Amino acid sequence: MTTEHPRGAATPLRHLVVAATAAVTLLALAACGSSTSPSASKSDGSTSAFGFAPVKQDSSAAITVWVDATREAAAKQFQTAHPEVPIKVETYDGGADGSGSFQTKVEAFNQAGSGWPDVVFSTQNNEAAWASQGKDAFAAPLDKGYLDKSFLDGFTPGALAPVTVDGTVYGLRNDLAPTVTWYDTALMKQFGYTVPTTWEAYQALGEKVGKEHPGYIVGTVGDSFAPEIYFWGAKAPVNVVKGTDQFSANTSDASSVKMATLVDDLLKSGSMAKESVFSPEFVQKYTGKVLMMPGPVWYSGALFNNPSSLKSAPGTIAAGLPLGWDGQQAVAGNVGGGTWYVSRHSANLEAAKKFMEFVTSDPSYQVDLAQGLPAYKDAGDKWLAKQAASGFFAGDFAKNVSAAASEVWDGWGYPRFSQEAVWAKTVTPALSAGKSLVDTLPEWDKAIKNQAQANGYKVK
Amino acid sequence: MTLAPSRAAAAGAPTGARQRPRRASRSVTGRWSRISYLFVSGYVLFALAFGILPTLYAVRMSFTHDDGTFAGLSNFVDAVQDFRFLPAVGHVAAFVGVWLVSLLVLVTVLALMVHAIGRAWLSSSVRFVYYIPGALAGAASVVLWLFLLNPTVSPVSAVLRAFGFSTFVETIAPGNLPVIFAVIAFWSGAGGWIVVMYGALNSIPVEVLEAARLDGAGAVRTALHVQLPMLRKWISYMAIMSLAAGTQLFVEPRVLSQASHAVVPNDYSLNQLAYLFAFKQGDLNGSAAIAVLLLLVTLVLSVFFVIRGGLFERD
Amino acid sequence: MSATSPRRSYQLTPGAWLGRAATVLVLVFFVVFFALPIVWLLIASGKTPHQLVSTGAFTPGSLGALSANWGALVHFQNGIVFQWLGNSAFYAVAALAITLLTTIPAGYALALGDFRGRKALLTTTLVVMLIPSTALVLPVFLELSAVSLVGKPAAAILPFSFFPFGVYLTYIYFSTSVPRDLLDAARIDGCGELAVFGRVAMPLARPVVALVGFFSFVANWNNFFLPFLTVPGARSPIQVGLTNLLASVPAFNFTATGDAAVELPTLAVATLLSVTPVLLIFLFSQRFLVAGLTAGGTKE
Repeated sequence: MTTEHPRGAATPLRHLVVAATAAVTLLALAACGSSTSPSASKSDGSTSAFGFAPVKQDSSAAITVWVDATREAAAKQFQTAHPEVPIKVETYDGGADGSGSFQTKVEAFNQAGSGWPDVVFSTQNNEAAWASQGKDAFAAPLDKGYLDKSFLDGFTPGALAPVTVDGTVYGLRNDLAPTVTWYDTALMKQFGYTVPTTWEAYQALGEKVGKEHPGYIVGTVGDSFAPEIYFWGAKAPVNVVKGTDQFSANTSDASSVKMATLVDDLLKSGSMAKESVFSPEFVQKYTGKVLMMPGPVWYSGALFNNPSSLKSAPGTIAAGLPLGWDGQQAVAGNVGGGTWYVSRHSANLEAAKKFMEFVTSDPSYQVDLAQGLPAYKDAGDKWLAKQAASGFFAGDFAKNVSAAASEVWDGWGYPRFSQEAVWAKTVTPALSAGKSLVDTLPEWDKAIKNQAQANGYKVK
Repeated sequence: MTLAPSRAAAAGAPTGARQRPRRASRSVTGRWSRISYLFVSGYVLFALAFGILPTLYAVRMSFTHDDGTFAGLSNFVDAVQDFRFLPAVGHVAAFVGVWLVSLLVLVTVLALMVHAIGRAWLSSSVRFVYYIPGALAGAASVVLWLFLLNPTVSPVSAVLRAFGFSTFVETIAPGNLPVIFAVIAFWSGAGGWIVVMYGALNSIPVEVLEAARLDGAGAVRTALHVQLPMLRKWISYMAIMSLAAGTQLFVEPRVLSQASHAVVPNDYSLNQLAYLFAFKQGDLNGSAAIAVLLLLVTLVLSVFFVIRGGLFERD
Repeated sequence: MSATSPRRSYQLTPGAWLGRAATVLVLVFFVVFFALPIVWLLIASGKTPHQLVSTGAFTPGSLGALSANWGALVHFQNGIVFQWLGNSAFYAVAALAITLLTTIPAGYALALGDFRGRKALLTTTLVVMLIPSTALVLPVFLELSAVSLVGKPAAAILPFSFFPFGVYLTYIYFSTSVPRDLLDAARIDGCGELAVFGRVAMPLARPVVALVGFFSFVANWNNFFLPFLTVPGARSPIQVGLTNLLASVPAFNFTATGDAAVELPTLAVATLLSVTPVLLIFLFSQRFLVAGLTAGGTKE
């Protein structure tokens, strides 16, 4: 076993080379096969009545619907209302935290040439950016004849902006998710505080809370969507998309730095939490101790009015208007607002259409069950009226939420990559390790730009 | 990478197995020669289709653009210059470093200790317990470790808290990841290697050990001067296999990324990056370039070991 | 090593005693390290979500909770877990069959045959065997994609069936454990080569068939990366399915709320279920395995 003869090294190598050469011939054959991949043979004629070329339709084909666990209720509701439509419901992560699973799964089916779902829900609002592009584009255009104009016009103005690419609508919005300023009216009264209306006043209050009522919080930066609450709401130009291929981000802009300083200050004072609102630790530590919390409308059903989360007492929690910088017009940030897409590959577009219209507009789901503000205007109004009637939220809930919905800052784009994933990867660990957000800004800046570049943007 | 240990476990077979003077009784007949081709044909077909051919195809893709024109080294240059590439190399290197050292030290020490157990039933039971986690290779072991690393439910939450980790996110802080991946890989793979080393230790003649004892050598000195040198080949075999397998890190960071709200990035390892190239950016050629680089590393290690390792000399 | 043999323990010096104690301590620590997670998983499967976080880690749950968790798992997407298991079983067993059909004759011919290219094939087998199978996943995927096989069961089964390690094992076995004279005797008796293989070599090869089968099955069952790429969606095996299930666990994905959410103990049950076949094979073949794995290393 120890002998090592000089020929030993050369011989196996030569054999390898021989074996390899033999296989090259076979390789050539496989290479020929590759030119007939399924995508290449497909017609891309956009002459059809829908603005894309549908595959052969079969009105009895079951549609496969992908939803996240939360939206399974929507699909179930549809099944109850339309038992005649054959449907298969599958759950996936909904793209949460920018996992990109919608895109990567679709790409896998593009490779397979089959297997696509007919309808997909995503928690992310930037999916249209990729789903509308490329020769294997997944999302069917909806406003070129497929869905009725009257139906599309029923959405709250601006609601479809995230799913509109180059003027074409590729998806439907499930809910509007503007950020509002959540606060606990009972605690405010008890502590003798007034509700701030500017970021500056908010910061001052947070510092005061840290001193006077340690343990109580005015917000949290523990979620991957924290930038969409704080930086979007602060008009920080860190996610600027122009056209389909221009991107810029500037974390050293004055509003970016001001917001980062604010977060650092509050973290230092102890009134800003680092836990995710969905973590058990958050619920354990802060139930009854959330004095204020800027965040999306859907916190209503997901946190406050949720027995397994913060379980707030009825009549205590109010949704205030979004905060703004002193002397400037206040704007709202936005966290998601789920989106629905139909596949161009669907063999039963009629059923898919029925499903899409149902889940976005039908009151039996959007009003009775949905956690957030429906994007479909009529359902949205009913949902707000229902919240008002229940009396769970204090103050003028409907008015403030509607106002916030119309104030979402349009300087924040919808690129092909996830800001949430970038934040989770670069900022969350840094904050968790006790680093200041201001010090993390350059790193974050670089990470955003790198990600933009990798996804084909020209970065300024 | 989860495969390596179980494969390795059975590779315990080769030791001491080369003593047959086979050439003496060679019966060369044309018939046997022809039928031999029949016997190996199925395997050769699969080797070509799923070993050689994909490799060559990937090599071809890595040197072409997506329209099939020759791309020179541009796919490689783009991949290597991607901002995620070097960090991924760093991550994988850190993990492999931690894992290799722990494997080399602990497996050797544990194999020696298990071998020193006097009672056969006890020794074989201990080996078996060490080997069991091998059944959980793959995604299942990572999911199990998600529980173990989460202080809220972990049975060893006291240990985690002692290290100052009170939440899942704190436990999986970026700096901890190489160690965490190493622990997971060690947990599911070390047992197989211990069994292999044990087998190798068994092949050391009793007389040699007896002689060492008569010379007054204690257990430690015997281990250092008699047993370790005999294990050298096996240890280097384990190191090469683990090094090659470690570079392939994929399922561990993927599942952890999925479970950590993306705090563990989805571009942590090189294979994840290759996956993103193919499935997120639609760049199959860039993906092929990374795959070829990874394959090259493992191929070089493998060829080197087959030629120089001495473990497989039998013809 | 005889210094630590139990029969001589009465002679031990204090230093040796300390060494002995340290050895025992280390061995026991690692027994705990390797076994505890699995024991805990068994216990966790029988707890309610609340018990999981509130009771001691090793306080047993109840059968009621176990069946509730089981019910939740079966309820998940109308029992898709069975489809995943079915896929896994189909892929693993089909690939196992092809593996045995191709590797056993190949190993036999490599060990006892003599033909041109034998050495090249052997060397290639060794080299490819040492390459981690994950290194070939992307190339295999690209190839399958080029020939439009992605998404078909063959896209998992065929790559699984290429198992050079099995050829190597068989080769070792036949070249060390089957006397060539026996085969020659059969030839003299007038047996054709196929008959020699079928009637003489195969019956002798049962142990190695079992060993190759074991490793092939375990490798196929536990493979994640390849099926993850080549058989997406409903064709996923349980290992990939498990990570899909993970996406519905609120603790790991906050958007998972409501009816479809999967609680941690349910995930524990699924994890357990996903490894049960392999675990059972491990347990029932313990003697065979430890003997088989060690045999080669033992001096003959």
